[in-house]
Amino acid sequence: MTEIYINGKLYKVSLPEDTPLLWVIREHIGLTGTKFGCGKGICGACTVLLEEEPIRSCITPLKAVKGKRITTIEGIPANHPVKRAWVELNVPQCGYCQPGQIVEAYALLKKNPRASREEIVRTMSSHLCRCGTYPRILRAILRAQSMMGVKT
Amino acid sequence: MMDRRDFIKLTGLSLALVLTEGGFKIIKAVQEETINPVLWANITKDNHLVLLINKSEMGQGVWTGLAMLVADELDFPWERVRVRSAPAGPQYIDRKLGMQLTGGSTSVRNMYDFLRQLGATMREMLINYASEEWKVPREKLKAQGGYVFGNGKKASYGELWEGAVKLPIPHKVKLKDPSEFIYIGKNIPRIDAREKVDGSAIFGIDVRLKDVVYAVVERPPAFGCKLKGFDPSRAKQVEGVIDVFAISTGVAVCGKDFYSAQKGRESLKVEWTESPIKDFNDQELARYYLNALNRAGAVARHDGNPEDVISKAKVKVESVYLLPYLYHATMEPMSCVADVRKDKCVVYAPIQSQTWALKTVSRITGLDEKDIEIHTTYLGGGFGRKANVEFVREAVEISKKLGRPVKLIYTREDDVKSGWYRPMNATKFVGALDEKGRVIAIHHKIAVPAVFEWAGMPSQIDRAAVEGIENMPYSVPNLHVEFVKIDLPIPVWFWRSVGSSHNAFTLETFIDRLAKAGGRDPVELRLELLSKNPRARRVVEVCAEKSGWGRGSYRGRAMGLAYHFSFGSHVAQCAEVSLDKKTGKIRVHKVVCVIDLGPTVVHPDLVVSQMESAIVMGLSASLKERVSFSKGGPQSLNFDTYPLLTMEETPEVEVHIVKGQGPMGGVGEPGLPPIAPAVANALLWGYGIEVNQLPMTPDYIKTLI
Repeated sequence: MTEIYINGKLYKVSLPEDTPLLWVIREHIGLTGTKFGCGKGICGACTVLLEEEPIRSCITPLKAVKGKRITTIEGIPANHPVKRAWVELNVPQCGYCQPGQIVEAYALLKKNPRASREEIVRTMSSHLCRCGTYPRILRAILRAQSMMGVKT
Repeated sequence: MMDRRDFIKLTGLSLALVLTEGGFKIIKAVQEETINPVLWANITKDNHLVLLINKSEMGQGVWTGLAMLVADELDFPWERVRVRSAPAGPQYIDRKLGMQLTGGSTSVRNMYDFLRQLGATMREMLINYASEEWKVPREKLKAQGGYVFGNGKKASYGELWEGAVKLPIPHKVKLKDPSEFIYIGKNIPRIDAREKVDGSAIFGIDVRLKDVVYAVVERPPAFGCKLKGFDPSRAKQVEGVIDVFAISTGVAVCGKDFYSAQKGRESLKVEWTESPIKDFNDQELARYYLNALNRAGAVARHDGNPEDVISKAKVKVESVYLLPYLYHATMEPMSCVADVRKDKCVVYAPIQSQTWALKTVSRITGLDEKDIEIHTTYLGGGFGRKANVEFVREAVEISKKLGRPVKLIYTREDDVKSGWYRPMNATKFVGALDEKGRVIAIHHKIAVPAVFEWAGMPSQIDRAAVEGIENMPYSVPNLHVEFVKIDLPIPVWFWRSVGSSHNAFTLETFIDRLAKAGGRDPVELRLELLSKNPRARRVVEVCAEKSGWGRGSYRGRAMGLAYHFSFGSHVAQCAEVSLDKKTGKIRVHKVVCVIDLGPTVVHPDLVVSQMESAIVMGLSASLKERVSFSKGGPQSLNFDTYPLLTMEETPEVEVHIVKGQGPMGGVGEPGLPPIAPAVANALLWGYGIEVNQLPMTPDYIKTLI
């Protein structure tokens, strides 16, 4: 039995400890906002927060997060500026990579609300979007900063 | 144009529906003579408009664009509109395509009249009912903002709808004058944005059924291999593995969850027959395609006497191109949930082609189409790939064999191995100029697999093979277009903008080489060649003007322009490019894009986002993408070896919409073809480099410097 906290809630799961966190979250906890994209930690669709750090859940075994706090897309408040800016600018197209993108952006602004345009681009370049929403993701993060009253 | 009566007749079949808060419950299909709006729409008691849309939402914004048409004519508040996916069935066929399919950048064009009619008819029904109920003459009533009112009475559409559907359906319904539009032409919020931001949007891979079994399929390492044998004994011992058996495309491993199935598969031993193309690697494929250009093909177009004119011309230009197989790389790999029972089958899948899915499921299960329910989820990217339903067939085969509901998941590697690529191709162009640098002849030949034949629609001249060339808007007096069919067991398919994805590259870079050879400005030469096509001229002119074309070197960057007509729309793009000659690395700084999709633009911002999307995808393909082969199979099996463009590499994109006269054009695809040649043309003019192959990787570019 492994204990994990997801979005503030305690879950006890009985699974092999090498099971990737992604599949624990999706299939056993039932939160499907976190996506499977590559299984190798390259595309970023599976990004969740481990404590405050964005991680690739598809290559993170369950045993590495024992007793730790995980935040998924569902755990980020709906009224958070990042989510609001995403809706306001019509960022999502197919939408599949967006949860990972949003989690990454949320973590970035939490750590560094004043992140420069260059830092944002560098950080977000670890996420792939086949629909090419990059220009809007960038605009949405800048917009979220201004909603948060951050002067960059 | 058909008249309203025809339109109403055409809608044909009807369903009996139970109206619920969450949407519709379908009872059964019945044949009817006239349109029945409840087939497509419901207004709930609490005044929500719920629409069943017959087009797949794969990112292009089609649910927003189509729902707007109904809501506008109905005069209904946008925030109360909900969209559900129409089930697969003959009643939801797009009559202009003859099938239920999302493709060819046709959705808004094909459904525009129909859905406006639907909204207008519903509005009329509400007024008729209120008039009868309230004993108020129709002229004294107004239907606006979700309410019918007049003579001191007022009720919501939702309160009236149940009664309204019982009255005869009106036939002579007047549509709004464009000046009365409340949504069409405006940038209203995407209807799918919120659920795609909060994580609740359900894609194919997200469907959860009780007692579902998870399945993965072990596939051959190369194309054309058949299953020879397999040993399931070790796989079956893996904890959580439920069953292992052969299906038509490989060996299915079923488990209690994805991870168990995957682990079982790792312990599986499979033997395959030898691939008929086992000697094919990248070099051999190149040789094979280039050699095919020596074969005689089928002539798609022959005007004047190009051979003669070319042989006598003083200035000749010749180019040979080789373009790679491309992978769709939808962020959501193929996935499908299927539940096959004795008398019934239910499928949930992210598909673009409901009609093909229905026929496939019927063939595999032996069930009648009326006993098959196919639900389309959101698509985590489509780009043409999800019009191919082989993955649906696999899930149905597995569920049928197991007798249990199954969720089939492709890993990224499975997704690449399954094939269905944008075809590789070799093209040869020869052109001739007169003494003034005017283009007097073009001789073209392409060696390429036949995409439409792979899709079950063979013809002597494959439509995709020569599209954009055979019908080029340029006036060239002596023109030859020829198609040599490549037959290899590497499955090919529609990839965003299809044949135009490669033909625009070869044609548009060749035009610039002709311009260079004739000492002409490429924009000026294009305008000359487009003298009979004012819409095409205009997008080229606007693009040149907005990008600062002709004002000399801009910030020290090279500029290249390309134009292409596809899917009914004219698009010109100008790219600002710089090249690091030491590393061979290309940087695209800015792209100015101009599109003319006709006089009606339903949602300008969705057009802009589709241009951004197509430019990023086209740039990704042209700078980075190629399916690499070894021993007859793909080697680039994940994003480490098949890299996509990232935010760092994305240029600033500026989009301008010009409204030309003529029929409405498409939006999803036409933005893609011009970007690759625009970048290559910048390299030609700025750095003297002729790009004959894609992708323009630093290694390749260095060989040209």
